Amino acid sequence: MNIKANQLSNASLIWLMISLTLATLPHFSYQPLWVSIIFLAMIGWRVMAIKYHWPLPSRQYKSLIALQILIALATGFLLFNSYGNLIGRDAGTALLVVMLGLKVIEIRNERDYYLSCFLGYFLVATNFLYSQSIATASLMFIVVILMTNCLISVNDNNQVLSKQKQLKMASKLLLQSIPLMLVLFVFFPRIAGPLWGLPQDAHTAKTGIDNKMTLGRISQLIQSDAVAFRVKFDNEIPPSAERYWRGPVLWETDGTTWTELQFNSKNKKPTITSSGQAYPYTITLEPHDKHWIFALDFPTNLAKVQKTIQTHDGKLQSIKPINQRVQYKLISHTQFEFNANNDTHLDRALQLPEGQHARTKQLAQQWLQISSDPQQLIQRALQHFNQQNFFYTLSPSVLTGDTIDNFLFESRRGFCEHYAASFTVLMRAAGIPTRIVTGYQGGDINPVDDYLIVRQQDAHAWTEVWLAGQGWIRVDPTAAVAQDRIELGMDNIMPSAMRAPLFFASSSQLIDAWQSIRNNWDAINNAWNRSILAYGPELQKLFLSSLGMTSPDWQKMTIYLVVLFNLVLLIIVAFMLYNKKNNDPIVATYQQFCKKLARFDIKRDNHEGPLSFANKTKTLLPHYQANIETITQLYIDLRYGRQQSSLNDLKQAVKQFKPKKTMK
Amino acid sequence: MTATLSQLFKKFNQLRGRRVFILPTRFGILYAAFLFLILLAAINYSNSLGHILCFLLASMGVLAMHYTYNNLAKIEFLSAHADPVFCGQDIQFKLLFDNQSNNDCYLIDVATKQNTLKSWNPFKNITGFNYQSHHLIEQLSAQQQQRHTIAISSKKRGKQALEQIRIASRFPFGLFDTWTYFTSNDKAIVYPQAVGDLPLPISNEQGQYIVGAKTKGLDDFSGFNPYRSGDPIHAIAWKAAARDDVLRTKQFSSAVSGNIHLSWQDTAQLKDIEDRLSQLCLWIIECETAGLNYALALPTELIDYSHGHSHQQHCLTALALYEH
Repeated sequence: MNIKANQLSNASLIWLMISLTLATLPHFSYQPLWVSIIFLAMIGWRVMAIKYHWPLPSRQYKSLIALQILIALATGFLLFNSYGNLIGRDAGTALLVVMLGLKVIEIRNERDYYLSCFLGYFLVATNFLYSQSIATASLMFIVVILMTNCLISVNDNNQVLSKQKQLKMASKLLLQSIPLMLVLFVFFPRIAGPLWGLPQDAHTAKTGIDNKMTLGRISQLIQSDAVAFRVKFDNEIPPSAERYWRGPVLWETDGTTWTELQFNSKNKKPTITSSGQAYPYTITLEPHDKHWIFALDFPTNLAKVQKTIQTHDGKLQSIKPINQRVQYKLISHTQFEFNANNDTHLDRALQLPEGQHARTKQLAQQWLQISSDPQQLIQRALQHFNQQNFFYTLSPSVLTGDTIDNFLFESRRGFCEHYAASFTVLMRAAGIPTRIVTGYQGGDINPVDDYLIVRQQDAHAWTEVWLAGQGWIRVDPTAAVAQDRIELGMDNIMPSAMRAPLFFASSSQLIDAWQSIRNNWDAINNAWNRSILAYGPELQKLFLSSLGMTSPDWQKMTIYLVVLFNLVLLIIVAFMLYNKKNNDPIVATYQQFCKKLARFDIKRDNHEGPLSFANKTKTLLPHYQANIETITQLYIDLRYGRQQSSLNDLKQAVKQFKPKKTMK
Repeated sequence: MTATLSQLFKKFNQLRGRRVFILPTRFGILYAAFLFLILLAAINYSNSLGHILCFLLASMGVLAMHYTYNNLAKIEFLSAHADPVFCGQDIQFKLLFDNQSNNDCYLIDVATKQNTLKSWNPFKNITGFNYQSHHLIEQLSAQQQQRHTIAISSKKRGKQALEQIRIASRFPFGLFDTWTYFTSNDKAIVYPQAVGDLPLPISNEQGQYIVGAKTKGLDDFSGFNPYRSGDPIHAIAWKAAARDDVLRTKQFSSAVSGNIHLSWQDTAQLKDIEDRLSQLCLWIIECETAGLNYALALPTELIDYSHGHSHQQHCLTALALYEH
């Protein structure tokens, strides 16, 4: 190529600085502060060099090269210090950002510039490893336009195109690429990741319920209105009081913390017989990095998409941790019998730590003396909660010492976990096998798309007691204290200040408005998650099957991909290449005139201006001299000179110009 | 059989029209490598938006190819024209380009073939290694014709053809390089170099009026004329040019006027034909500058007494095209 590698223009460098900064912007919140500071300092340095001719590291300024190397070494050391390696997602991204920063001050030629641009594109991709929200996607879309604009501006060193034209061209290219991108997105055969071991930090810690419970832990969760999962019921939605979404079941306790039973191979599958109405539904579960998925008590079929097994206590255990959004279809019945005849772990459901909860045990003994009937004991305990001045509060005071005794006899203010735990201790002390079930309860129905949204604030803990012949029966001690929590759902019992931002909380109308905004926004997010973010190998197969492709495999997809891609490309390129008739009506009319003459083999040569062409034509068609002269004069006036003549005159003149062959 | 096949091929080629070539630049290849990296990352992290980004950039790359192609494909080369020059001077070829599309075309590089450049690497020859860039067309507006001048050094006396022109463009993204060739039959006339040491032949065969002292006549300054190519460099008014950047030639009127017969035999003492032509060339210029009537007698051609610009051109062209 002979185009000389000119000096990079300042405009193109400024564009690059802007786009790189925007591409790095979201990272500022994830990465250590010093990484952002170094990056911004380097960008600032370059900008100062452009604007005020600050020196940059070069052969002229050897000391600056030394400074640059020093910064590089220091950042290398700092990176290694904070991450331990340079492979993981966080370390890799931080390394990329720092490297880009150091590169920015030594962009000297086209090659450096292009490399930085392409690294910028890669930086956009790293953003998606942290957040795939609509907001991030929109920002990155703008960044991609700006990056592409950088490519144009570095090619147009002399600024032949205005900035607006460059931006317009970049945006046009991007918009034209979208149909092609969609074809690729749908048909490109997806490969299930990971290709190699994912680094430890591939997924950030997600909020969600844990498989151990310490009093006070769940009440932290309710501060978050992050979505835990979304449910689409095929037909009817069960009433709120029946919507118990089962998570880990807790058996063992050391007095403060409750944990699951250790899983071992002796654990048998539970015998569950369900009855009543069947509720088919699809759950879209947000990633929570744990090994279980949630289901409405009790599913009769296991989730097929996410490989799961049902544990002995009814939890759906997945083989892989849920670190991406997953979708699964289940059918549940809310009436069930769980291990009605026997359970191998009943002894574990009676264990209590030695020498703790003395007062609680004493209370249970008192009740036991009155009646040993389990049903009556349960009622007794629930009545106790209901009548003895217990309060349901979202912000319980911190309990110290023997937390159960303290709660039951001192504070009496607690959240679901307090009630579940103390109820379990009471029951176990009275000789009734009891376990705590954690999960979510309720959920809001979004009227916009009829999805049931279960948020972190719906996290709940309840209990199950085992009664001979009836099996495990759900008892929710929270319901005894706060009936509304179960029947109306969490959102309705929360104080308004917790339901909406401060500004909206001032009036109920504003709260309603806020709720409706939230519902709409959530419906959009839900659609985004379901159709775009969850589109992986499984969903692709499902979707393509629903389009009518029988048993889609990668060969078929590739054929469809190639055919459709080229078809769409053909359409786009045809639009691009299609040479519309000349837009200028003056030229178009004149061309009509030329066309009429072409029938007499009078052709206008490339070098001929309208005047010389007219002279030639006049000699060949002497009868029409006057017509030719008027048309030519009108055309010249309109196109090159005074605009006083009207286009209509020209059109009229051309229309009336009807040379006949016989006159030749 | 092969003959018919090649004929068919030629016919088909004509139907296809001019060939426009396109290849990715090294930046285009780097771009593809980065796309692959992004795809790997997206697959590894099962990242949907990563996939989207990769697909978007890939689609952009494919469309960028069409953008680059479009920037060049509709450009036609119409003609080239050049005024005669003296050997050693640059020929100013005025190339007429026509943009037949409805879009403006930008940043098109115009190059001509440079036979001196050779490379063992065939790939380099494809990408225009043996073409020397002369001019960058910044903008060719839609449906417009534009003239662009390129300067090509004249090689030797006679007719010099433009031969092959290569126009190339990487606009707008630099990811692809597209180019096409035009063959031009337009030729420029190159006069012999105007040098020589012999004095003007002061006598003619008929013994007509003889110019006495040519130097004296040339010394009388009479005014300025705008510079014309071919004017002797020593006659340029440099001091005046320094004032306003306009080249002028100092004009000298001779005290006497007359007829001079410039003949091939007058240069007999020079052995080399080119030297003789150069000497004649210089004489013609001197005579024209001095405002004399002159005739030129070449073994192949005889041009009668006259003077003026067209007469001078006539004579010089005869010298340029002289073949023995």
